[in-house]
Amino acid sequence: MEALILELKKEIIEVLNLEELTPEDINEDAPLFVEGLGLDSIDALELIVLMEKNYGIKLNNAAEGRDIFKSVRIMAEYIAKNRTK
Amino acid sequence: MEKNAWFIMIYQWSNNIISSLGFTTEENYTAVKQGNTGLKYYKNPFDFPEDAMLSLIDDEHLNNAFSSINTKQKTAYTRFEKAAILSAYKALEKTNIDVKSKKVVFILSTTKGNVELLDKKESELYEAERVYLWRSAQLITSFFDNPNEAIIVSNACISGAAAQITALRLLQQKIYDFAIVIGADVLSKFIISGFQSFKSLSVDICKPFDKNRCGLNLGEAAATIIYSSIENNRPLLSNNIVLLNGAIANDANHISGPSRTGDGLSIAIEKTLQNTNIQDIALINAHGTATPYNDDMESMAITANQLENIPINSLKGFLGHTLGAAGVLETILSGVALLDNMLLKSNGSENPKTICPLNIVLNNQNSFKTHFLKLLSGFGGCNAAILLKKT
Amino acid sequence: MNINIASYCRLTNHKLEVNDIDIQIQKTEASSLNDIYRHLNLSYPKFFKMDNLSKAGFLASELLLKNIIIDKETPKKDMAIVLMNRSASLDNDRTYQTTIQYENNFFPSPSVFVYTLSNIVNGEIAIRNKIMGESSFYISENFSPEKIYSAVMNTFSDPNINQVICGWVDYEFNECDVLLLLIRKENQEKIPFNVNNIYHLYT
Repeated sequence: MEALILELKKEIIEVLNLEELTPEDINEDAPLFVEGLGLDSIDALELIVLMEKNYGIKLNNAAEGRDIFKSVRIMAEYIAKNRTK
Repeated sequence: MEKNAWFIMIYQWSNNIISSLGFTTEENYTAVKQGNTGLKYYKNPFDFPEDAMLSLIDDEHLNNAFSSINTKQKTAYTRFEKAAILSAYKALEKTNIDVKSKKVVFILSTTKGNVELLDKKESELYEAERVYLWRSAQLITSFFDNPNEAIIVSNACISGAAAQITALRLLQQKIYDFAIVIGADVLSKFIISGFQSFKSLSVDICKPFDKNRCGLNLGEAAATIIYSSIENNRPLLSNNIVLLNGAIANDANHISGPSRTGDGLSIAIEKTLQNTNIQDIALINAHGTATPYNDDMESMAITANQLENIPINSLKGFLGHTLGAAGVLETILSGVALLDNMLLKSNGSENPKTICPLNIVLNNQNSFKTHFLKLLSGFGGCNAAILLKKT
Repeated sequence: MNINIASYCRLTNHKLEVNDIDIQIQKTEASSLNDIYRHLNLSYPKFFKMDNLSKAGFLASELLLKNIIIDKETPKKDMAIVLMNRSASLDNDRTYQTTIQYENNFFPSPSVFVYTLSNIVNGEIAIRNKIMGESSFYISENFSPEKIYSAVMNTFSDPNINQVICGWVDYEFNECDVLLLLIRKENQEKIPFNVNNIYHLYT
């Protein structure tokens, strides 16, 4: 799980262009949206693409993503359970 | 604006629409008045891996119609160029304008032009420069032997209104006598995939302002309005549509999401309606894309200007969101309807529900008022409003 | 009433000049736009989400408006942004195309698609400075001082507009070509806004 969390942090930094952050800057239990990293609606859509491209998990809309993207850890746990890649 | 500009009325001499519903304004209006939609369900359109509800121009009809007017030119034209040229041609046919005159200017409104040529499968068919909008514009003006460079407006989905505002200003300053405003966009895998990545497409016919609305439908079209100026001392024919005013304002909030307060659109409406008697307004033809946020945002901007009791409709349920063509196309249809004393229903809308309640036109209804307001919003936070009236 | 050039910024691959002052930037990265961002000591993480065109226009606007717009929060309804270029958003369009080109690797990117319109650069400048006046974008085959002049004077047809950020913002094939001007209606005559002055600031 720790390895997946680290991998996920690196991928999030890359696909969301969080150029000034390192994996150490991201707290895996902090909220990703609104507070915490303060990501927005386009970021959420880009995370949906990330889920499918890297892990083979297809989400159909932003609403499905809302619960999964609550924090890096919650995302990682969902991926571990549902990944097809 | 100079004071004497008020004495120059800018009116629509002629217009044309090319869309899924036909190749003339009359065909389009008749279809929409009868409640017929041009939206259809397509499987893997333009090699897009999913299905989509779209409003598409019939290719065979386009090619045949274009061949019959393309007598001199040896150039191979793209779909986008054919639609734009054909639409302008059909609008010009109804006038006696000398299109070769320096006093005639083309104003082209488009968001993506020939963008499908970026696809490796398409790019081999045309020269590399063909992806530039100015190159398509040159081909359009040279088809008609017009000596001026076209003015190319690329302002996201408000382009059609921005182009008309540009025409208004240029004609009022007497820089030109006629402005041929063409709004055109064709669909492609590029565009459809992009909107799908935003999860903003509805798989069914869209439902503007409806409590169950869930997204937009894309469409393609070419629409032309030929604007002409007339001095105050010459009589204006009746059965005309005059362009009175228009304004653009930015939300300064988010590059793709609508403002949650409708500030930019509200400012554009306020600026446009300066010196207007609200009681004269028969209709507000909204942007009405049927996404959850857009329609709410429009309801707030409309209410902020005390216009919530005025009948409001959206034409997106008939022709989809035609991007760079939308502002021109929807202005034409709303004007033709008004000359017919008619307000067209918002196809797809059944149970309106927005944050601020609106008076949505659910069935065709009569109106004998004279003015209408056209609203548009687009990516980049831009918003536009234009005011027109019938004579 | 005079129409003056209150400020300008010229940005190319070889030059960064603001109001007659040359700014030298040390190039450390492949992207010199990122170098300029760091040199300016800005704290605006959204910058890194922008495409090249928006980055170029945004940076030029930061320099253009430095010491002019101090308060970035108050809405500026009397300021317009009127820009022009040759390549629209093709630089970024080509990037988006790579996300959809191959059927077996078809992953359209929303964060890239959002920049497939040239007027998004207007939006970025507007958001940063809360500029709520008219926002327009035009396409022209070549840089044209006449077209810029004409577009701005037409924008002043809107009686609510007193200031216009205008100019040429183009980025394609790694070539950056930006000239931004801040135009103001003022009582005194300063540097007049005219075709010749636009041309001289570009060349």
